Amino acid sequence: MLETRNLDKSFGAVHVTRRVSLKLERGERRVILGPNGAGKTTLFNQLVGELTPDSGRVHLAGEDVTALPVAKRARQGLSRSYQKNTLFDGLTVEENLGLAAAIYTGNATRIWSDSLGKAEVREIVRDVANQVDLMPFLHAKVSEISYGVRRQLEVGVALATRPLVLLMDEPTSGVGPEMAKGFHDLLNNLPRDLTLLIIEHDMDLAFDVADTITVLNYGEVVFDGLPDAARGSDLLKEIYLGSWEDA
Amino acid sequence: MFRHTPLRYAALVLLASAALFQAFTAQYFGLEILTEILILAMLVLALDMVAGFGGMVSLCHGALMGVGAYGYAVLSTTAGLTPPVAMGAAVAITAGLSWIIGAICSRSHGIYFIMATLAFGQMAYSYVFEAPIFGGDDGLGGIERLDLSVVGIDLNDTRTFALFCLVALAAMYGLAVVILRSGLGRSFSGVMHNEQRMRALGLTVWRVKADVFGLSGMIAGVAGVLAAQHIMYISPGLMAWTVSGEALVVVILGGLGTLVGPLVGAAVFVVLKHELSSLTTHWHLIVGVILIGVVMSRANGIFGFIEDFVAARSKSANTNPKAREGTKDA
Repeated sequence: MLETRNLDKSFGAVHVTRRVSLKLERGERRVILGPNGAGKTTLFNQLVGELTPDSGRVHLAGEDVTALPVAKRARQGLSRSYQKNTLFDGLTVEENLGLAAAIYTGNATRIWSDSLGKAEVREIVRDVANQVDLMPFLHAKVSEISYGVRRQLEVGVALATRPLVLLMDEPTSGVGPEMAKGFHDLLNNLPRDLTLLIIEHDMDLAFDVADTITVLNYGEVVFDGLPDAARGSDLLKEIYLGSWEDA
Repeated sequence: MFRHTPLRYAALVLLASAALFQAFTAQYFGLEILTEILILAMLVLALDMVAGFGGMVSLCHGALMGVGAYGYAVLSTTAGLTPPVAMGAAVAITAGLSWIIGAICSRSHGIYFIMATLAFGQMAYSYVFEAPIFGGDDGLGGIERLDLSVVGIDLNDTRTFALFCLVALAAMYGLAVVILRSGLGRSFSGVMHNEQRMRALGLTVWRVKADVFGLSGMIAGVAGVLAAQHIMYISPGLMAWTVSGEALVVVILGGLGTLVGPLVGAAVFVVLKHELSSLTTHWHLIVGVILIGVVMSRANGIFGFIEDFVAARSKSANTNPKAREGTKDA
């Protein structure tokens, strides 16, 4: 469903991703682990088109999308949520979801009708609000909801474009342990045919949700395999304990 | 996202009533001032659509109004088209040109967007100033008003023309509301809130900006056609960047992003201009001081100040139980 081949990206002398190759099957849930500065977010930015790789290719559903701009990739089914909330603060939860659903249904550029009034948009809004537990907050403004609920909305907005592949950059970033547990359930309850690629520091969530785990260090894939193998990996422990240089 | 509140409805009713009262009771000079207000209100309505709801602070809207005015003048006089056809064509040309400017400038932001639109405005001004077909710096005269005599309306009558401008402004206001509350308007507002996210969701951002800028230019074009018919003479001064600057001042004075505020701003600005200019030639200084006062007060213009005041009063009434009891007792 999503494949990268030898993605390379440098900023000046700093090599941020090195020959990163990944292959995600339809419905696969993969978690990317790695310490700060490992190149995880830079990899995401290349996948969605916010950054152009120096070399390498990105394929989505069998099609080479490397040259496509961000919006076109999104319309082909590649959606993302951000590490920092990127919501529409002055709008309600319903309007936030509605903006995304309107784009998916082709109602975002209509002049004579309100996109939120369209049955297909309302249906997606309700569906997604149920999926990410936002029904009680539907009419609240973003500024009126808690940080944890905003994180749910961050994922919800990405889901409202009905993606084939959803990239999530640290969905539980900044939330407490209890809310993080709620996120595990939320992610586990997403449709099984949705392909997920998640950057996460929370090991519990990673092992709970992931079908496969990829570990990045200094921009390089150093581990790619099943959660059980990752759990027992000395390399992974060393990376997280900060002794990579000695490995 | 634009929302009508009870206060905004009340302000609209008040403004419309005042305009109607003036239209039916004023003499020639008062009617001329009313028409000037209505045309300026239409221009600032167009500017508020893009600046207040999309963050596209344009310094070419004066020039766009000029394109509408010159388009109508040339098409109805030199090209010999009938006024209705010339009006439609002039508005369509302005909308098309505006769409192109919006499409080109949509990739820039902030000060760069302002400068890019200023450059387009100045290009139009310079071209008209030098081109013989547009009368150069002498301008163009002999412009006719729309002939509605078949339905018994004489637009050459000052009072009737003022009422015609009022109806046109009401129609353009309605159009602006429909656009801003449509899917396109919601997306436009979303782009202002978070352009990166809208793009990541699959929206072709430049196209949305260009579409709304084109529609806003269309409204500015209608204002231009009415301006040409009002004075029956136009000169390049109509396209000078100061006209765009003045329109921006009016939007800020009235209340950016409220649609109603700029209408209030237009009325206050034109009345102030006429009252103060009869007292001193330095009336701009006084308007400048007022504008600085409005900006420094951190309120969103005159109408924004009223909205904040009413909201604060209503909040205080709702949170003060004694006040509520007092109201019950009374």
